Amino acid sequence: MSDATIIILLSMITTGLMLGMIFSLVAVGVTIIYGSIWMPNAANGQFFLLAALLLWSASVSWGLHPALAALIIIGLSVPFSYALEILLIRRFYDVPNRNISYFVLSLGITQILAGIFSITYGIWSDQFQLPPLVGGLTMLGPFPMVNNRLAAMLIAALLLVALFTLLRYHRYGRALRAVFQNREAAALRGVDVRAVYRMSFVLGNAVVFAGGVLFACAYSFDFSIAWTMAITAFAIMIIGGPGSVLGALVIGMVFGLTQAAVSIFASPTIAAFSYLGAMLVILLFRPSGLFAR
Amino acid sequence: MNVLTSRWLPHAIFAFAAFAMPLVFSGNRYFAFIVGITLLSVLWATGMNLLYGYTGLMPLMFAGIAGISAYVTIGLSAAGWSFWLAMLVGSIAASLVGIVLGLPSLRLRGFYFTLCSLVIQSVITLAFVYFVNLTNGDVGISHIPLPELPGGGQLTGTSYELVLAALTVIGVVVLTLLVESGFGHRLIAIREDDGLAETLGINVTRQRLAAFFIASLFASIGGALYAPYVGFVSPRSFDVLVSLNIWLMVAFGGRGTIWGPVVGAVILAPLPFLLQDYYMIKDVVYGLLIIGVIVLLPAGIVGGWKRKAAAGEPAPDVAQKTAPAR
Repeated sequence: MSDATIIILLSMITTGLMLGMIFSLVAVGVTIIYGSIWMPNAANGQFFLLAALLLWSASVSWGLHPALAALIIIGLSVPFSYALEILLIRRFYDVPNRNISYFVLSLGITQILAGIFSITYGIWSDQFQLPPLVGGLTMLGPFPMVNNRLAAMLIAALLLVALFTLLRYHRYGRALRAVFQNREAAALRGVDVRAVYRMSFVLGNAVVFAGGVLFACAYSFDFSIAWTMAITAFAIMIIGGPGSVLGALVIGMVFGLTQAAVSIFASPTIAAFSYLGAMLVILLFRPSGLFAR
Repeated sequence: MNVLTSRWLPHAIFAFAAFAMPLVFSGNRYFAFIVGITLLSVLWATGMNLLYGYTGLMPLMFAGIAGISAYVTIGLSAAGWSFWLAMLVGSIAASLVGIVLGLPSLRLRGFYFTLCSLVIQSVITLAFVYFVNLTNGDVGISHIPLPELPGGGQLTGTSYELVLAALTVIGVVVLTLLVESGFGHRLIAIREDDGLAETLGINVTRQRLAAFFIASLFASIGGALYAPYVGFVSPRSFDVLVSLNIWLMVAFGGRGTIWGPVVGAVILAPLPFLLQDYYMIKDVVYGLLIIGVIVLLPAGIVGGWKRKAAAGEPAPDVAQKTAPAR
């Protein structure tokens, strides 16, 4: 193989890994919320975009360091989620068939946020680019790698590991899985179901925000990312199995690598078609997903 | 006869209003156009009501079906067919597609069906954008010729609105007859508990697919007439937001009642025109409306009123106990 081919291959793999980790993060956020509350949060794409846009404002307009701004924004997602939970989410905890109500509710939130973005950020620009988190290049043997993306990738990987550990081994993670499998039984065993619900709504959104912030650090973005991300995260959740964190991780990485490969050889439209197709097939023939528990 | 008059009285009032409004506004094209679009929305909302209100499925690909019909009708008219024949073929073709798109409802219900229909709607929209030589892609098709009349001349202006009024009235009457027939009762039985309905000897598959065919017919007749009426279509004319708006009319008015969706459409369809000066906040208003309906009016305006009138009767959303897929 010539050097050029290897460079293309390497960049494909790194892009794929980077995208995969961001997809995984967002999908884990979505699946945590669905797994506990049964809320299919279609607004996850707008939350993702919200985080990215806030980071852009903070670092470009107000001159904060992106790393500091990112932490603040992820922190801000907590009161934001709490407010939403108190205002809207909490009302439906005991409604039968609530996932469809939640779905429509989140479509309403999507509309509101999209409307707000187009009258605020929409006037300024349609393409947003952040200053790099860290400058410079690292040479991987003869191949140059942008430090900024390496850093984002490293943070994403650490976050994923931390999340996975939390959900696997921590008390909260066990409670979450118990609630997902059988709410009544979990309540009987002394799990505070409502606290788990609230916690997972906050945690899930924080993870989605983290995904948005990392994406904004690594790539330039526009409004269309919200819709793409919403569909992708849903597709990953459905294929991996709703509520399955492992499924979201694995399928997220698969999607990221596929996206990177497909966008070199074909158009992104084809990639979108293939996600939707895969999701349809899974929905019809194995609605509990590939990694169902 | 007395019973009959009282039963059909609302229909008579609605028909009178539907035919009178275009005549009242015949002097002002702008208001007449709003009336026309509202009538089309009533037709669409009535069709979606059959699926969402009476069959218990939320079909987000409704606008996509209307779009298929619109594009087929435009294509056939451009190929030299008579508009009315093209509309007939386009509507039936789109409704057959509607049956196919309804097939997932046999395996999925509740949120999973809705998600599936959302995916289908996205695929349809992508296809409208992708097949440029049939749909002219994102640019859209403009200058769509008006339907020709048998005696020569074109269907235009007030007469177009009167045709829309006639079809809308027929649509509402057809839905009433269907709902009161055995077919309607079987659909409601399926909505409440499809397993039990099956046990009672109802062919769930056939009833569901029939519901999809009829509802798609509403969608596609509306779609075929929408295109020449507005004179312009693009993939955005039939995207998921349009489906969602029609859904909102049904839910806002009250699903599972004949008049709820009519009221919902009459209130919501003129809204974008009235909000034209506040174009920027239109999305926000729609989002707030959606959330308001879900939180405050789960049974809709008419549904909530009916529930108050007949206290003790459970709300349709509470009674709907179709088990989620997991």
